[in-house]
Amino acid sequence: MKKVMIMIAASLTLAGCSFSSGGSGEGSGDQVTVEIYQGKVEFKDQFEALAEKYEEENPNVNIEITSVGGGNDYAGSLKTRFASGDEPEIFSVAGPTESESFEEYLADVSDTASADAALEGSLEPVTKDGEVRGLPFNQEGYGLIYNKRVFEEAGVNAEEILSYEDLESAVEELDSQKEELGLEAVFAFPAKEKWVPGSHLSNVFMAPEFDQQVLNAYEAESLEFEKGGEFQRMIDLQNDYSIQPTLTLDYSQQVEQHFSLEEVAIIQQGNWIYPSVEQMDPEFAEENMGIIPIPVEGFEGKMPVGIPNYWGVNKNSGEEEVQASKDFIDFMYTSEIGKEAVLEELKFIPAYEGFDTEEIADPLSKEIYQYSSEGNTIGWVQLGYPGTWGEDIGGYIQQYLSGDMTWDEVEEKSISRWENYRQ
Amino acid sequence: MSNRTLSFWLFLTPVVLGLGIVVVIPFLYGLVYSFTDWNGLRAESFIGLENYIRLFQEDEFMQAVWFTTKFAFVGVLLLNLFGLGLALIVTRNIKSSNLLRTVFFMPNLIGGLILGFIWQFIFISVFGDISGLTGIEGFNGWLSTANTGFWGIVILTCWQMAGYIMIIYIAYLENIPKDLIEAAKIDGASPFQRFKNITFPLVAPAFTISMFLTLSMSFKIYDQNLSLTNGGPADQTQMVAMEIVNTAFSDNDMAYAQAKAVIFFLIVSVVALTQVYYNKKREVEM
Repeated sequence: MKKVMIMIAASLTLAGCSFSSGGSGEGSGDQVTVEIYQGKVEFKDQFEALAEKYEEENPNVNIEITSVGGGNDYAGSLKTRFASGDEPEIFSVAGPTESESFEEYLADVSDTASADAALEGSLEPVTKDGEVRGLPFNQEGYGLIYNKRVFEEAGVNAEEILSYEDLESAVEELDSQKEELGLEAVFAFPAKEKWVPGSHLSNVFMAPEFDQQVLNAYEAESLEFEKGGEFQRMIDLQNDYSIQPTLTLDYSQQVEQHFSLEEVAIIQQGNWIYPSVEQMDPEFAEENMGIIPIPVEGFEGKMPVGIPNYWGVNKNSGEEEVQASKDFIDFMYTSEIGKEAVLEELKFIPAYEGFDTEEIADPLSKEIYQYSSEGNTIGWVQLGYPGTWGEDIGGYIQQYLSGDMTWDEVEEKSISRWENYRQ
Repeated sequence: MSNRTLSFWLFLTPVVLGLGIVVVIPFLYGLVYSFTDWNGLRAESFIGLENYIRLFQEDEFMQAVWFTTKFAFVGVLLLNLFGLGLALIVTRNIKSSNLLRTVFFMPNLIGGLILGFIWQFIFISVFGDISGLTGIEGFNGWLSTANTGFWGIVILTCWQMAGYIMIIYIAYLENIPKDLIEAAKIDGASPFQRFKNITFPLVAPAFTISMFLTLSMSFKIYDQNLSLTNGGPADQTQMVAMEIVNTAFSDNDMAYAQAKAVIFFLIVSVVALTQVYYNKKREVEM
């Protein structure tokens, strides 16, 4: 018995050694610590600089920013944080599907100045039972980004491309002059990335079915695939005139290699590519990039613009922390210093009123903001897709491209997949 | 019980604690979660075997298991073949044998992710250029079909792991007493007979180790898969480990992924234990 006691004592001592280091960092005195957990590493440094400015003005607030790599792993790591009890005060959620899974943690932020300033309709996807559960990050938009110089030399006027037929003839024109223009192909279609055809391209053809409303998609039990035929021919067009094989072409090859090095004339992407292209060739980025909408019958000249992420405030933190979190978000989007930094440093397309939009940093964002402010937009229904439906349909499209599936099978499988998620 | 003294337990405690905290306890947690509808944030109810039933009904997981099994079979075969082959080369009395050992072992020092990207470049860009120059169609479009994706991963793993397996074989080959070989030579045994009747039985323990290593490694492969094909095209080259990670972290279906992981654990342990059992029986004691 004595031996056992000693053994337990020994193991406790050992355990004690390894755990005593935790639990510090609670802060002293009246300091309020706000931890921000966010998934955009692109603007990590600029964001931290903004937080420092805020700390200078408000010495009793300590802001800690944790940025976790883009894409998939953000949602996973956020869940881990919540599961382990180490919850951040502010975190980002993407649209209604994610905001529902974090429902019990999201505080009502309708009393903030930012909520008042948010653009009309931008809060709808995260509003439930009269409570606003998130504040928009920014706006993003995508379409067909083209090389202005190549278009000019080929004698193609981008502004005249409205319908699918216009686009097709422009593409044929460019293709016939490939040699002289120094192009390898007209498009770089990254079929390896399931989200490019699966989420983004599908969105513009699904939106009419859901009346442009993300919430309609979010609530839909099934879908009709009304514009399936148009969807198919758009994929065929991009695939046929693309650098081959498209199934191994990824995002970075598409943007950094083929487009930035002017090997292709058009790519389907959004304003987020600007920093990457700028790093490759600042002059090209500044002068030669333009964007036109993806043609959809009946919705010509409309750009899919949406809010990819929302800031959520954690209800479970103390009252002081919740207030400090709201104050910081208000500082970002409604104070002069904050607004300037959001536009110029973070290079956001603002989703709030009261911004000097002349100051929007890059030409792509400027064009997208133009479409958005004139109301020429297509809704981002992709944020209301059930589960990983966008990725799934991307997978079916890959099989369509490799010849393992017919288009009818793609539609059938996509519909039954959707219904499965909604059961 | 005579050796179970205080110091025995004292020395054992750190390992038991470490293993318990990072392996045993999470494993048990996982087992429990696989019977619930846990989504990473909350588990609302016990749903019994539902996750397990679903797993056998949906073909994604079974497809990944089948693909992994195929890969493990080819991988184990080729890796041991190349490993033993390389070991036989460098244990000959050739001048550059030390240099060769280093060279053959080197790929193993590079991380799987980076190797994946290097080979992705080779398969896509270099092979594409070769096909462009020579006009041989077979070099075109690698990794864009399930078949080339499969062989891509096989080539990559062989290139990476063969050197490691080689080291194990070298150790056993160098332990074979020279007098045995010499005696056989004097008795007039041909090189093939010497290999078959002396060398081969005496390196049998190395087979046990290498086959165990290559088998479990082929089943658990993830990073090479991720960076080389990322499961594409259309998830046809997705191995089990990757399928589980995707279910958990991109589909956010944690409990379901956990159930898959439990099945995966069972498969790997059954395969590995059977294999060790049979190989052990065949080993020759000197």
